[in-house]
Amino acid sequence: MNETRKWILHRINAIILAPLYVWFYFSLISLSTKNYSEAIYFFKNSVFEILTITLFFVSFFHAKISLNEIFEDYIHNQKIKDVANILTLISSIIIPVIILVLLIFKI
Amino acid sequence: MNDSNNPLSPHLQIYRWHISSLLSITHRISGVINLLALILIFFWLLVLSFGESNYELFLISINSFFGKFILIGFTWSMIFHLLSGIRHLAWDLGYGFEIKTANISGVIVVISSLALTIIFWLFARGFI
Repeated sequence: MNETRKWILHRINAIILAPLYVWFYFSLISLSTKNYSEAIYFFKNSVFEILTITLFFVSFFHAKISLNEIFEDYIHNQKIKDVANILTLISSIIIPVIILVLLIFKI
Repeated sequence: MNDSNNPLSPHLQIYRWHISSLLSITHRISGVINLLALILIFFWLLVLSFGESNYELFLISINSFFGKFILIGFTWSMIFHLLSGIRHLAWDLGYGFEIKTANISGVIVVISSLALTIIFWLFARGFI
């Protein structure tokens, strides 16, 4: 991905994430005082389910681009940098996919 | 390659901190903290899928003093990153580059992130 495209995507992600995070943190802090069945009821709502899945995919993509920048600045050994970038890429795909499976099939 | 003309990073022991540079590094650090928060939320949902007894234990731990401290810290980090991000977006659009404006917007970001964290918690916990 070229740097300009990355730069633009990073900002688009940020604009998508801003309202999602306000909603999500607000909901989680409220849920922290509520019991198991209320939490399940919350995540069974299909709109909230889709928003949560979107938040995870977009957040990890946003984090991946940022971490690549941080590694570029602070890791000087090319091999370690490559490994760090690959691990970031793998976890930025695996974690949102696990969340997708959990929310659709398990919760 | 050893080129003595390469630019140097600031020597942190003698570097005179400005609000701009301080907020720039804090934006980065808060981003990394937000990632840690997201990983905690991932475990939150994972525990939820493990059933009621596990979830009750999780609720006890996040409602402990230490748990609340972490959650409030994560909330501040998210709000700070969001406000600071808006400041960066304004810069990207070409606004707020004057030193005075940048300093004022930096102070606004810090103060409002603290105030909004308190208001956010009071609302979300149903105190307001």
